Parts: sequence; structure tokens; C-alpha cells
Amino acid sequence: MRVSVNWLREYVDFDCSPDELAQKLTMVGLEVEESRLITAEEFAALGGSGEQDDIVWDTKVTPNRGDLLSVLGTAREVGAVVGRAARVPSSEVVQSGPKASQLINIRIDAPDLCRRYAGVVIRGVSVGPSPGWLRDRIIAAGMRPINNVVDVTNYVMFELGQPLHAFDYRLLRGPQIIVRRARTGEALTTIDGEKRDLDSDMLVIADAERPVALAGIMGGADTEITDRTVDILIESANFDPVGIRRTSKRLGLTTESSYRFERGVDPGVTDLAAWRAAQLIKQIAGGDVAQGIVDVYPSPVSPVVLTVRPQRVNAVLGTSIEPEVMVQILCSLGIETVFEDDILRCKVPTFRSDLCREIDLIEEIGRLYGYDKLPQTLPCRSLQGKDSREGAFTERVRRILISCACQEVLTHSLVDSRYASLVGKENEVVRVRNPLSEDLDSLRTSLAVNLLQVIARNQARGMESVSVFEIGKVFRRVSGDICETRSIAGAMVGNLWRSNWSLPSDALAADFFWCKGLVESLMDGLCIGGVAFERTRNPLLHPTRAAKVLAGGQEIGFLGEVAPEAIEFFDIKGRPCVFELDFEALMRNAPDAVSYKPLPKYPAVHRHLAVVVKESATYKEVRDVVVKSGGGILEEVCLLDVYKGPQIPPECRSLTLELVFRSSDRTLTDEEVNAVVEHIRSSLSDSLGAAFR
Amino acid sequence: MTQQENLECLRKQALEDIGRAESLAELDVVETRYLGRKGEVTQLLRTIGSLPPEERRSFGQRVNQIKEELAAVIQNRRNELSVVEISTKLQKEALDVTLPGRFFQVGRPHVLVETLKRIKDIFIGLGYEIVESPEIELYKYNFAALNYPEEHPALDEQMSFYITDDCLLRTQTTAFQHRVMEKRKPPIRVCTMGKCYRVDAVDATHSHTFHQVDCFTVDHGITMADLKGTLHQFAVEMFGRDVQVRFRPDFFPFVEPGAEVAVTCTICDGKGCGVCKGTGWLELAGAGMIHPRVLETVGIDPEEYTGFAFGFGVDRIPMIKYSIDDLRLFLENDLRFLRQL
Ligand SMILES: [Zn+2]
Repeated sequence: MRVSVNWLREYVDFDCSPDELAQKLTMVGLEVEESRLITAEEFAALGGSGEQDDIVWDTKVTPNRGDLLSVLGTAREVGAVVGRAARVPSSEVVQSGPKASQLINIRIDAPDLCRRYAGVVIRGVSVGPSPGWLRDRIIAAGMRPINNVVDVTNYVMFELGQPLHAFDYRLLRGPQIIVRRARTGEALTTIDGEKRDLDSDMLVIADAERPVALAGIMGGADTEITDRTVDILIESANFDPVGIRRTSKRLGLTTESSYRFERGVDPGVTDLAAWRAAQLIKQIAGGDVAQGIVDVYPSPVSPVVLTVRPQRVNAVLGTSIEPEVMVQILCSLGIETVFEDDILRCKVPTFRSDLCREIDLIEEIGRLYGYDKLPQTLPCRSLQGKDSREGAFTERVRRILISCACQEVLTHSLVDSRYASLVGKENEVVRVRNPLSEDLDSLRTSLAVNLLQVIARNQARGMESVSVFEIGKVFRRVSGDICETRSIAGAMVGNLWRSNWSLPSDALAADFFWCKGLVESLMDGLCIGGVAFERTRNPLLHPTRAAKVLAGGQEIGFLGEVAPEAIEFFDIKGRPCVFELDFEALMRNAPDAVSYKPLPKYPAVHRHLAVVVKESATYKEVRDVVVKSGGGILEEVCLLDVYKGPQIPPECRSLTLELVFRSSDRTLTDEEVNAVVEHIRSSLSDSLGAAFR
Repeated sequence: MTQQENLECLRKQALEDIGRAESLAELDVVETRYLGRKGEVTQLLRTIGSLPPEERRSFGQRVNQIKEELAAVIQNRRNELSVVEISTKLQKEALDVTLPGRFFQVGRPHVLVETLKRIKDIFIGLGYEIVESPEIELYKYNFAALNYPEEHPALDEQMSFYITDDCLLRTQTTAFQHRVMEKRKPPIRVCTMGKCYRVDAVDATHSHTFHQVDCFTVDHGITMADLKGTLHQFAVEMFGRDVQVRFRPDFFPFVEPGAEVAVTCTICDGKGCGVCKGTGWLELAGAGMIHPRVLETVGIDPEEYTGFAFGFGVDRIPMIKYSIDDLRLFLENDLRFLRQL
């Protein structure tokens, strides 16, 4: 809210400078976000008097403190801070002629949406420009002066926080005011010239025949104050915050008035504001104020009395404030407080509807005592902190992948729903109902796709080689339920050496086997055994260069070269590879603890074996036969070379294996190793028709 | 010439030859010529039978003497030549050491994930248990259980992405509070962290996605002073011993009293700069004592137990630490950016 410091001084005295005061207010919770000087010249340029400079604050009012959306409310807070009471302006006015109740009939048909409705009538006014002092105030508050009547209604709104509306009395049919819900099909042209279609959830002010104002939000054009207006009705009412908010949102229309009603207006100030407006209008626009006020207030609100236990205050704040100090603080806020029988009895004024229970008053005491004066301690009980299981596992995975030269990245979960189609999950995609834009209309189903986008973006910026990974959530809709799970993915393209003048250019290409090696290294680092890879089909992957990853016989993810469609979708150069693993499955398979195996005592025997088999036989098949025939002394099988060429029959390939034999209880002899190698050879011949070189 | 004269002559010749050998290979030839099984010195020894018996002994002794001498000289020469030869070989192997190495682009942690990890470690040290929490959250947990009235202006700051009528993308990690309190009884001291979402267009300082950390504790006798002390301790560990922490009243529906927590701007040391908008303070967290109504809804008696809660945005922390002026850099994943941190 914009607060003029000159205006503020009309209601409260303070000796410190405006900047010091702003600082003090900020420290009690009314933040003065900005303070700026508006010079007399600037006022003149904006249509003001040009008589004096002013300082205008922008205060940040929290949603619970509607009472601070007025100069008087701000003055009350200043009063509490500087220890001086704020002055409520006089609203006395000379009344004459007929009674208001003879001039206007007011009825509330929707008491749930309107707690109180008051009207005063002023006849014979001269609508014209406002005097300089009034124009200055309106300008300082951030509005444009319009005419003396409208300016007074705005002035009183800023002054007391009570939004008002002035009707041209002669244009009201009846003359009657009915506060009711709009009827289906009704429309109202508001003073901004917009025709607004109304519905039965919206509260309107109607005369005998039609809606004349959108209650608490904006008046209608038909009955607005013009140069020709002579008699006026001032409306001062109290509308339900929720109702105003719904209508304001529905219509996309927020006004100074609706903003205040949404945050709660004091039902105790309704009549005062009406009289204050009448007083000022009579003073500057002339006319006669009709006698009395028509004030429809079916269930008057009275001040709430709360009790506060001083020891509870100190127990919550961690302080030892004396009850007398508490009394003083509460009284300075306008809360009449007495201390008796170890209890504070507090009468909360109606303008502080945010104070409903003891804890609210504890906050009042705390903030005016000063948060900076509260002691600093730590909770007495000492507890053992710990990471979540997922968090600890995430750290293990991160450490391994980072040590494998992968850059960690963090991508958005909100993505284009077309990404889901790339991984064949278009039926599982979780959509956002109100997306910011079409390319953020869903939640990611896969991390790998996001990583391809990271590759594409980096390539577009000149980085051809990329190797990245991410650990994060993915979202899927599975038979109606929304599943939120964690995933681990990596993507790579190009060459992993930055400078490769001394190596063949493809020596460390980020190809399928690099990608697979990364997954194998991860499994090894996590001590996950029994990992297998099988050919698979996956829409994201190359049809013949794709593998599913199995652990403990269960599929836990995939890896492979990216399919041409996805490469084209992201416009990637080269042939990227990706892997993606299910976090929970990986965590299930990773042992929490492993035990130490003693180092071997006896030497190993190494043998090479060049196996020539049909290309249709996979390495895994060959290896399985070798391992099965290892006679209990085969420790390790390494693939040294894969060869195809002139010396090998067509449609065959030669696999050079290094076999490592070792026994845990003796030094192996050549003879026994030879026998096992011979057995391996014959098994390979028998089961796979292998030949040997 | 007598045999003795021959012998001395041969010695002289051998010593000269040894001296002339310029490589280990040549020296090997010389050694074989004189000392080999068929070498000249060895041969001379075989002629001993042709000498008169009385000379045989001294001749034999002299031959052996010379053999030993030559062997020693050869060994010396060999040592000399090896040194030369190794050094020649090494000379030939000279590299241009200024050629680039096989530079391995090491992997690095992402700066935001690493910041989260750092924060997590601090809170674990302060006795907090880290708990996981969903990003797709029920309206109930995100707002209602946190004492947000329906249709309240407090919701304006938290425009949500909706998935269904009841489900939304959480706007604050605070949503985990109720979940935890439904399952646990005091003493509770927990922390969660992760992505949050609000309907907000992306620019240098705003994004629809951001990261938050939330902590809360419920126990006998928890006070606002404990909250101050805890956040001070965190700030010191995160930003260094000289940091100052400022508490100011603020409003959040789920705490009462509520506070905004700021730390001295580490960029200007509190003197005022562009990042802190000249105030010398950077807003860090929202905090407060858990509202009694929040405790009541999960059946915790607020007369018996009190608690505090605080939450803060993580993205600001590396922005402050590394003087990063554009939030978008974190999730854009430009390697030129990520590799600097
Ligand atoms: Zn600064």
C-alpha cells in the first residue's frame, strides 16, 4: 500500500525521521519496501497542488493484515512502535432536511455475503474538481483525481480502509437498494465501460429494477457520478471476503476496493466512514446531508475478549518478559488489556480480526518486544540426524557416475508431452491442467529424453562431445494412479577425450560400448552381481543396438544407441547413446554391506583361447559355456579381441579369450589347467560348433 | 719372443682394445676375444705345457692375474659405456612436453545438487532426519492442512499447477509437514528438500520450478529462541562465521508467530549492493512456531508440545555464492557453465 508520510502525520506524531520510522516498522513486520520523495513539482505535473513535497512509502502488507491497508491503520502501527496513540479523524457533520430513511430503502437479501450496508444521502452537491490538498492525497495514494465526490470516497477508503461507493441518487430506481445475488442472464456495464455478464454466485447492488454495482468491486456506469449529479447516495458496506474474491477472480477484475474486501474490512468502521465521507463532501462540494444513516446490520460484531497466560508467552518465545510489559505492548496496539489472577484479559478491537486466539497475541507481544531481542538457543534434546535411504543411495550413485567422467545435470520435470511419445509412454503421461505453455504441458516420463535435449542444446552452442547424467523423479499414470518414482539416466555423444591428437579419432568414442561400460561400472561400484544384458526393442533406441538391463533376473532399465527419430526430433549431431535405470530397483539390488574376501594366496595361470564361432552365437553364449566348463578353477574370463577377416570362415568370428585360473588352496599345475582348457574346448565344439585358431 | 713376452704384449694389446671399445657390443667382442673360452688369454694358458716345468707356476699365476685385471677393466669400461648408452637412448626418446596430454574431462556435481547435499549435511549434523516427500501433492497437504483458508489472498503467492481436482504440483516443501506428523509422534525433527512448482513465467530471477528445503521439529519446550539459534547455526555453517542473521515478523498461515529470516549480504558484506537492493540483507527463509491449529489437526496437543518450522529456497544460495545473476543457468545445463563450479 502506498502511504503518504504527510498524511500519516495527521493521525500520529513521531519524532524520528521517516527513514528511521520505516526501519522500525519493517522490524515489527510492516515492511516498508520502498520510500521515495515526490516533489511539489511532480505533484503539480500529476494534477496536484504543487504546494509541498511528500515522502511516499510502499508498504508490504501481509494477507492477514487488512487493517494496514489504510493510513489510519498504518498510523496505529506507528503509534504502537513510537508509544503514542493514533488519532481517529472526526466524522461529525451537520444534518438537515428529511431523514435518510425517508429517501432510501435498503435491504440485504444475501446476508451471507453482506454483513452490513449503510447509506447516507447528500442533496444539492456541486460536482467539480477537488481542492489541491485532496488532489495531492489522491495522487500520493497512486490514483488520479476525478471529481470532488469520487475523490472523497477514495480518500476515505485510503484513510480508514473502508471502500465506499457514490451513486447518483436521482438515477436509482425506487429509490431502493437491494443487496442480492445476480440473476441468471443479468449483465452490468461497469464504470470502466466493460459489459459484464453476471451469474448467481456474484453479489450485486441493485435498485428496484436492475443491478447498479458489482458489490465491493466496481460501480455501474448508469448510476455513476457525473457533472450533472446533484443528489448522491454514499454506500459504506461490509462484504464477505471469499465472495468478493471469487467474483473478482471470475471476472479477472481487481480493484482497490476488492483488494481490501478480500483481506477483510473492519465491520465496526462502516458508519464512521459513511459519515466521514458526508462531512468531507459537504465541506468541499456543498449540499445538505440528510438526517441519520440507513444502517442495515443484522448481526453486529462485538470485540472479542481473549485470555493470555504470561508464562505461555514466555514458553513459546523462550523469553522472560514481565506481564506488565506484555500489558503495555498490547495496549499500545489498541488492545485493552488487564492483568489479573496471573492472566491477561484482552479486548481485541474489531479492526484486528486476525487476532483470534492466544497464540495470535503471543505473536503481537513477540514482534513488538522485538524478535532481535529474543535469545538464541538450540533445542535441549539431542537427536541423531540421518539421511533417508534414497538420499544415501543417491550419493553413492552420484559419486560413481561423476568418477566415470559424467557431468551431473538437473533438468525440468515439466516438459513437452511429445517427449513421452519418444519413449512410447504417451498413454502414461501425466498432464498439467493449466500449463504455462504447450511445451510445458506434462511431467517427464523419462530422464533420458531430457538428457537428449541437454545434448542438443550443448551441441547448438558448439560442444560436440557431451557425457551427462541425472538422478531425479519421473511421473507416470498407471491404471489411473499417478506414480512418482526415481530414475537414473545418462546420455553421451562424441568423443570422451577433449584432446585426442595422440589417439585414433574413435579410440574413446561415446558409443554403445562406452555406454554399456558405464552401466557395468555403476553396477560394479554398487556391488550388484548377476547383471545381464539382452537385446530389446525400445521406441527411443536403435532397433538392433538396444539392450535391456537385468539384475537378479528382473528388468531394471535399458541402454543403447538412440533411434534416428529421436535424433532428428532434437536435431542432434552424431550417434548419441543413453541409459536409464529404475532407482528403486537398483537400490533393492545393491547390497547395503559387503564383506571382505581374503586376497588370493596362490598364483594365477593365464591362458589364451581363440574361439571361432558362427556370428549368430553371442558372446554371452560362448562365455556361459566357458564358465560352466571351468572345472572350479576358472577365476575370470576376459575378451581380448573380436576378429573377422580372411583367415576366418565367412559368417564366423574369432573371439580371443584370456582365461585366468586359480585355486584357493594350491598352486595349479600345467597339467590340470591343460585338462580344464581341453574340456572347455570340447564343450565349445560340442555346443556351439566352435573351432580354434 | 718368449711366452712371457707374448703374454705382456697381449695384455697391453687387450687394454688398448678395451679402451678403444666405443659400445657395449664392441666391448663384448673384445671380452670374447681375450677372455672367452677360446679367447687369446685362455689360449695362452693352454700353452703352459710347452714351458719348462719351473716356469709353469709363475706363468700360470701371471695369466690369471692378467685375466682378473682385464675382467675388472672390462667391467669398469662396461659401466662407463652403459651410462653413456642409456643416456644416448634416453636422448633419442625426447618428447615435446608442451604437447597436450590426453585430457580427461572429469565429471562434476551439479552446483544445485551439491548445494542441497551441503544443506542436508548441515541439518543431519543438527539432528534432523532427512525424509523424502512427493512432488505431486494433495491439495489437502499443500494448503488445507497448513491452515490456508479456502479462497484466501495468501494463496495468490502460490499459484499452483493442477493435475486433478485434488492433486497439484507442490508449491512448497512445507507440504510434507502433515504427512510426517500423521505417521510420527513427537519428538520429531525432520527435513525434506526438492523441487517445487508455481505458475510463474521464467525470467532471470523467476521460474516455474525451484528448489526448497523445509525443516520442522516438535517436542516438549521448543521455543522461538530455539528457532533463532537453529537458523543462526545453519547460517554460520553455510555462509561462514561472520554472517549475521535478522529475524523480522512475517505471515505464513501455518506458523504463529511467523518470521522472515535474512542474512547479511555476502556480496557486499552488508554494505548494500545491487543483489541485496542496497539493504545489506538477503532474504533467506520463512520461519515460525508451528501454528497450534496445525498440531491439533494431527492430534498433537499444542499445550503439551510446541514446534518450529522453516523453509527456504535453495536456488538463491549458489546465486549468492558464485555471483550468478540468472536463475535459468541452473536448469539449462550449458556445460560451459556447469564445468566452472
Ligand atoms: Zn549486498
